[in-house]
Amino acid sequence: MDRKNGRRLQRLRILSQLLFLVLFFFLLARLAGGPSAPPAWTGLFFYLDPLFLWVGLLAGPLLRAFLLALLPLLLTLLLGRFFCGWVCPLGALHQFFTWLGTRRRRRPPTIARGWLRPKYLLLAGLLAASLFTVQLLGWLDPFSLLTRSAATVVLPGGNALLQQALQAGPRPLYELGRRALLTVTQRSFLQAAGLGILFLGLLLLNLRRRRFFCNTLCPLGALYGLLAKFSFLRLRINDACVKCNACAGGCTYQGGPYQDYLKSECLLCGNCLADCPAAAIDVTLAWPGKKQRPAVDLGRRRLLGAAGAGLAAAALQLASPSRRGGTHAFLRPPGALEEKEFLRRCIRCGACMQACPTNALQPALFQAGAEGLWTPVLVPQSGYCEYECHRCTQVCPTRAIARLRLEEKKQFKIGTAVIDRSACYTYADGYNCAVCEEHCPVPEKAIRLREVEVETFRGRRRLVRQVYVVPDLCIGCGICESVCPRSDRPAIRVGAEEEQRQNPAG
Amino acid sequence: MKRRAFIQNGSALATGLMLAPRITAQAGAGDADAVVQVKGASPYEITRRAVSELGGMKHFVSRGDVVMVKPNIGWNRTVEQGACTHPEVVRAVVEMALAAGAKKVVVMDNTCHKAEDCYQRSGIAEAARRAGAEVRFSDESRLAVHDFKGEVLGRWPVFRDHLEADKFINVPVLKHHGSSGLTMAMKNLYGILGGNRGKLHRDMGENIADLAAGFRSHLVVVDAWRVLVRNGPVGGRLSDVEERRTVIASANIMHADVAAAALFGRDARQVESLQAAAARRMGEIDIARLPLRRLDA
Repeated sequence: MDRKNGRRLQRLRILSQLLFLVLFFFLLARLAGGPSAPPAWTGLFFYLDPLFLWVGLLAGPLLRAFLLALLPLLLTLLLGRFFCGWVCPLGALHQFFTWLGTRRRRRPPTIARGWLRPKYLLLAGLLAASLFTVQLLGWLDPFSLLTRSAATVVLPGGNALLQQALQAGPRPLYELGRRALLTVTQRSFLQAAGLGILFLGLLLLNLRRRRFFCNTLCPLGALYGLLAKFSFLRLRINDACVKCNACAGGCTYQGGPYQDYLKSECLLCGNCLADCPAAAIDVTLAWPGKKQRPAVDLGRRRLLGAAGAGLAAAALQLASPSRRGGTHAFLRPPGALEEKEFLRRCIRCGACMQACPTNALQPALFQAGAEGLWTPVLVPQSGYCEYECHRCTQVCPTRAIARLRLEEKKQFKIGTAVIDRSACYTYADGYNCAVCEEHCPVPEKAIRLREVEVETFRGRRRLVRQVYVVPDLCIGCGICESVCPRSDRPAIRVGAEEEQRQNPAG
Repeated sequence: MKRRAFIQNGSALATGLMLAPRITAQAGAGDADAVVQVKGASPYEITRRAVSELGGMKHFVSRGDVVMVKPNIGWNRTVEQGACTHPEVVRAVVEMALAAGAKKVVVMDNTCHKAEDCYQRSGIAEAARRAGAEVRFSDESRLAVHDFKGEVLGRWPVFRDHLEADKFINVPVLKHHGSSGLTMAMKNLYGILGGNRGKLHRDMGENIADLAAGFRSHLVVVDAWRVLVRNGPVGGRLSDVEERRTVIASANIMHADVAAAALFGRDARQVESLQAAAARRMGEIDIARLPLRRLDA
């Protein structure tokens, strides 16, 4: 292919990446806002992901939507890793940062195959662990990673920066910007600092090693790489080659068709075609026979070792106290499956957190065990479960949070509120206060008032309307805890007592 | 009779005679203490009628005014559930204010549930916008400390939009309220506040009275079209809602609340916030002596 056509192809690829990146953020924005539940197609990228097809297969009745993932699988057998190069929105971001890093240093880099291998080993380890119910694919899956990072860091952070910037300007501009761009209330997430550093770090690593995440860590990239080895499409150097190695100058895996062609790593980005001065690279189709499968050598021992490490990690998790169940200090979203099943299905994508209108759903740290990292927990001090909302139950791509109709969700018991009498004004101080009772959304009121004569701390006898909880009526939405006016700690708290979990079959 | 006693009694009598016409006279147009209660077939029409009976919106809004209309948009509830002001009442007030020459009418509240949901589900945002109002969300970055100079309530953050408006029209909904018994116009002023408002639920009646005394409502229109009679202020169950098809209007916020309490079936003297208002001499607490006119539209 000559240079002109190579550039054309390259530009087409960039356009495709941009479109998919825009589509991704459009779908993400569609998850939030608006009173009605977002449509199922907002989960498109997840349904296109074969790793989640695997999660679905392991977890029981497979959602038909995940059959969409067969499409990129089959196309990869034909074309190679087109998905990573042309479709993946996270790949597009990495490509952009890679471009920033290579703009000045165009010298062909040295080959370093060792950097390409870890992703395969990670995939082997993660898959092995998932067979033993410890399912952690979402930690590194590109769509989980991007959705989670965008929802908890990029969007709220961008909003805060923009608000500050607009406030420095004239008021009409601020009002306009607030209306058009900003969220009415600033959203905030626990773990945002950690998630942000991780995300930014991954992006910045591209300045050192091209598409670092995609080449070194991405388990989905590894899966596509394994298949791409057997793909039909391949690059071939023809006789016009002047051996200048210019094709390595922009190669995403730092190889290039001349010095180290690897079908498993080629993202079909077209950079080499655009860089070749001699039109010496041909794009051809060839039967993937034994000699036509240039790929990273993995080594049986390494793979077995990685799988073994995955099993060891799974064993550690299976033997951890969090797996024993029993009491726990966190709440799950309404409709969450029974805990073990929930963890098996949850892909830590944060779609529910993005969809939650009140900012109540937050990424866990280690409350739910190490394996529960970044799974959604409901934190009433951050927000409450809105009575008239069932969005999180509608957006979970793997149904770790089961679909609940609004009427079902209103009955679903997330936990139970308890009053801390040593802190509640109506008990401890002998004052009237009923903010929690006011906000209780259960029509019959799960929080009620009774008039009691108390002795105040000043020693006066006084009639006080004390609040109390009716545990059978309480649905654990947490609005009481979120509005308790105490400044040090809420005097009413929702715990997992009597929490309901959805039966996976139902 | 001692001279001192004579003078004391005499001056008390004189004061009483001076005040008497104000209180006992038939409530009429332009009377700042007058209350009008209108019952009828459409929330929009009775709102218009009530304000015109008070002398018309021109009496309260001057040409070029920026008018703040403050409904209760506190909850993510529908019109039928009666937790928020009826959108038709809001529409009527906005239209009248604009027709009276207001430069701009702003509709705004600091909600309890998520603001976007409340504005939308209550139907108020759409009705107000269609009537020509600017619908605004409360903006935390626009808070300023206001001194209410009250007995228990002093300095507290208030959204500047309310402080900067030329006129403030208070458009609450009448409903049951767990801790304060009833919520009406005076309690509706919680919606101009920022900060940890929950703290003001201690000695709530006193705080409510201080709020109303320290921040002027130029006109009060209480929506009692649908009244949430139990399990307020958030409600939710339609069986807790009764249709009363009534609107109450007054320029005296306490009087509007006394009339609203009577409509609800409560003696104002049993309502803590009104006891506190009476102690602050904000008006008459005895419904029998209130300059109230009840009309059927």
